[in-house]
Amino acid sequence: MTELLTQVVWWLLAATAVIGALAVVFTKDVMRMAIGLAAFLVAVAGLFLFYALPFLAVVQVFVYVGGVLVLFLFAIMLVHRAEEGRPGLESRHDIGSIALAVGIVVLVVMALRPLREATVVDPTSSGTAALAEMLLGPMLPHFEAAGVLLLLALVAVIVVVGGDDE
Amino acid sequence: MTALVENAWIVVAVPFAIALLVGVAGPLARRLVPWVTLVAPLCVLAVGVSGLVTEAEHAGAVRWLFGGEYALSFGWAVDGLTSVMLTVVGFVATMVVLFSIGYMHGETGLPRYFGSLALFTGSMALLVVADGLVGLFVGWELVGACSYLLIGFWYQKPSAAAAAVKAFLTTRVGDVGLLLGLALLWRETGELGYGGVFEAVETLAPAVVTTVAVLLFIGAMGKSAQFPLHIWLPDAMEGPTPVSALIHAATMVAAGVFLVARLWPVYEAAPSAQTVILVVGAFTAFASATIACAQRDIKKVLAYSTISQLGFMFAALGVGAWVAAMFHLVTHAAFKALLFLGSGSVIHATGTQDLREMGGLAKPMPITAWTWIVGSLALAGVAPFAGFFSKDEVIHAVVTHNVVAGVALFAASALTAFYITRATRLAFFGKYRGDGHPHEGGWVMSLPLVALAIPAAAAGFAGHKIAEHLGEHGEALNLPVAAASLSVALLGIVVGWTSYRDGAESEAAMESRMGGLWTTLRGAYGFDGFVGAVIVRPVVAISDWLYGFVDRKIVDTTVEGAGKSLPVIGRMLSVLQNGDAQWYAALIGAGAVILVALSLVVKGG
Amino acid sequence: MNVAILASVLFAVGLYGVLTRRDLIAVLASVEVMLGGASVMLVGLATTIESAAAPEAGVVEAVGLFIIILAAAEAAVALGIVMAVARRRRTTRVDDLTEVSG
Repeated sequence: MTELLTQVVWWLLAATAVIGALAVVFTKDVMRMAIGLAAFLVAVAGLFLFYALPFLAVVQVFVYVGGVLVLFLFAIMLVHRAEEGRPGLESRHDIGSIALAVGIVVLVVMALRPLREATVVDPTSSGTAALAEMLLGPMLPHFEAAGVLLLLALVAVIVVVGGDDE
Repeated sequence: MTALVENAWIVVAVPFAIALLVGVAGPLARRLVPWVTLVAPLCVLAVGVSGLVTEAEHAGAVRWLFGGEYALSFGWAVDGLTSVMLTVVGFVATMVVLFSIGYMHGETGLPRYFGSLALFTGSMALLVVADGLVGLFVGWELVGACSYLLIGFWYQKPSAAAAAVKAFLTTRVGDVGLLLGLALLWRETGELGYGGVFEAVETLAPAVVTTVAVLLFIGAMGKSAQFPLHIWLPDAMEGPTPVSALIHAATMVAAGVFLVARLWPVYEAAPSAQTVILVVGAFTAFASATIACAQRDIKKVLAYSTISQLGFMFAALGVGAWVAAMFHLVTHAAFKALLFLGSGSVIHATGTQDLREMGGLAKPMPITAWTWIVGSLALAGVAPFAGFFSKDEVIHAVVTHNVVAGVALFAASALTAFYITRATRLAFFGKYRGDGHPHEGGWVMSLPLVALAIPAAAAGFAGHKIAEHLGEHGEALNLPVAAASLSVALLGIVVGWTSYRDGAESEAAMESRMGGLWTTLRGAYGFDGFVGAVIVRPVVAISDWLYGFVDRKIVDTTVEGAGKSLPVIGRMLSVLQNGDAQWYAALIGAGAVILVALSLVVKGG
Repeated sequence: MNVAILASVLFAVGLYGVLTRRDLIAVLASVEVMLGGASVMLVGLATTIESAAAPEAGVVEAVGLFIIILAAAEAAVALGIVMAVARRRRTTRVDDLTEVSG
C-alpha cells in the first residue's frame, strides 16, 4: 500500500513539474508563464523532499520560489510597464530545436542504460547535521567561495542596473 | 722559390682576394685599381716560373665538404704541365692587364673590368692547379662566368649583351657533356681525383672509358670553340680587345686542350675517342681557316684564326701527340695574344675595326707594326719564329697517322698564311683610308707588345725544354715535313701579299672575283643561321608557350584563385555569425550532443 | 531510471524554450527550468543508486545547495542585465537584440 502511495506521489510531482515546464516554454501569457514557473519550482522542491533531502527542499522554496520567482515578477512588471494590457510572449518553433531536445533525451537515456542493472535503494535521510558538518568541514572552501560569488553578483547587479540616470 | 711552389694555392687565393678588393673598394681609389690588379697575374707567373725552375712536384689539400665517411677536399697539385700552364697564363695575363691600362683609359666601370680580370686569372689558375676533376670543374665554370662578365662588359650595347649570353649558353651545352662524363666516371669508379682516376681507368671496360673520354671532350669542344660549338667565339669579339687577347686566344679557350692533356691516361685507353678528336680538330682547323680569309673585321680574322689553331692542337691530341699539342698551345698563346693586342693598338689608334678603313699604319705605328709582323710570321709558321716549330711537330705527328687529316692541316696552314698576310697588308701597308690620326699608345701599350714578341719569336727553340717539363722527350725537327710546311706557308704569304696590293680595292676585286664563295665564307657558311632556325627558334617557341599557357593560365590562376577563394569562403562562413544568441546556443547544444553521441558510439555504449 | 528520464525531459523542455522563446525574460525562465532539471537528475540518481562511488553523508545536499546558490546569483545578474537593456533599447524582444552597438 505505501509502495503504491509512494509511486503515486512521485508521479504527481513529476507531472506537475513537467506541466509547469511546458507552461514556461509554450504559453503566450506572461502571467501563466510565471505561474508555470512557480509550479515547476514547487514540484522540484517536492521531489527533493521525496528523496529525503528536507533541508534542500526548504531552501529551494525559500530561495527559488520566494526569491528568484519574485525577482522574475518584479522584472516582468518593471519592463513591461509602459505597455497596455498583458503583453504576449511569442515563440519561434523550429524543427532543429525539437530535434535537439529529443536528441538530448535519447542521448541521456542511452548513456544511462547501465542503470537498469544497478541496485536501487530507498532514499534515507542523513539529516541536516551531516550537511552542516560537510559544509563547515571538507567543503568549507566551496562554501566560502559561494559566499564570495553572491557578493560578486550583488555588486554586479548594482553596477549593471545602475541608478544614476533617468 | 720552392716555397712558392709548395704554397701553390696562392695562385687561386691571391687573385680572388684582389678581385674582391678591386671590385668593392675600387671606386674609392680608381687610379690604383689597375696596378693593384697587376699583382694577381704576377703572382701566378711567379709560381709558374718557380715550378719550371725548381722542377718541383708538389701537392696539398684542404677539406671543404665532409659528411660521415665521404670528404670532398679541394686539393692542388703542381707538376710540369701545371707549371707550364701557370707560366703561360701568368705571363699573358700580366701583359693584358698592363695593356688594358692604356686601352681602357677613360672608360667607366673600370673596377668591374679589372676585378673580373683578376677573378678570371684566379679561376684559370684554379682550373690548372686542381688535383682532381671537381676543382677543375669549379674553375671551368668560373672562367665561363668571367668570360660572360667580360664579353658583356659594355652591357648597354645590345650586341655585347647578346654575345655574352650566347657564349655562356654555347659553352653550357659543352659543359653538359663534361658533367655527364664526370657523373659516369664517378658512378663507375667512385673517383674524381686525377690519381684515382688514372688508376681506375685501367680496370674499366673500354666502352665506358671511351664514353667518358668523348663526353669530357664535348666539354672541351664547347670551351675551345670547336665545330659545332664554335659559334660563340666570333661574337665574343664584342668584348674589349685585351679580354679577347687573354681569354679568347691564349688561356680560356686553351682549357679544353689542357683538359685532354691533363687526362691523357684516359684518352690513351680510348683510341676511338682519339679518332673523334682528330676528326673534329682537323675539320675545324680547315673550315675555320677558310672563313678567316673573307673577314672584314680584324678581330674576326683573329677569332677564326684561333678556332683554326685550336683545331690544330686537337688534331695533334687526336693522334696521340699531346706534347706537340701543348707545345703549340704555348707558342699560340704568345703570338695570338700579341696579334690581338696589336689589333687593339690599331683599333685604339684608328677607331675602327674594319680592315677596309685602315692602311699604311706601319709608318705612324712602327712598334705595333713590327710586333704584329713577328706575330703574323709566327702564326704562318715561318722559321725561325715560334709557330714554325710547334706547327711542324703537330703536322708531322698528324700526317704520319692519318694522311687525310694531314692534308687538311697543310691546306689550313696555307690558308693561315694567306689570311694573315691579307690582314697585315690591308692594315699596315698602302695608303691610309680612314679618318683618324693613328699613333702609338704609350709605353703601357707598347711594352706588352714587345714583351710578347719575344716568346713569339723565340719560344720555338724551347720545344725540347717544354717537352721535358711535360715528362717526355722533345722531337727533333722532321726535315721533309718542315720543308713542306714552310713552302706551304710561303706560298700563302706570296698569294696574300700580291692579291692585296691595292688595299680596299683589292678586297672589292677579290669579292667580285670570288663572288658567292666569298660571301659564304664571310657568313661562316651560315651556320649561325642554321643553329638559330633549328635550335633556337623551337626552344624560344616552347618557352613562349610555357609562359603563356602554363605559367599565366595554370600557375597564376591557381595561386590567385587560392587567394580569391578566401574572401568567398569567409563570406560563406560569416552566415554563422548572425548575432542571434539562441542560434549560437543551438549550435553549442548540437555540438555537445554530437560529441557525446560519438563518444558513446566509440566506447560501445 | 525513471528519475533520469524525468530529469532529462525537464532539461530538454527548458532547452527548447531557450532556443525558441522570443522574449528575453521567457528565455531566462527557461534557463531556470534547465537548472531545475539538472538538480533533479543529480539528486535523484545520487540518492537512489547504490554504487561504489557513493557520496559521503551530506554531500548530495551540499551540492544541491550550491546549485541553488549559483542559480539565484545568475538569475539576479541576468535580470539586472535585462532591466538595463530594456531601459536602453526599450525592448526585450530577442530578435531586436542581435547587434552589440558601439
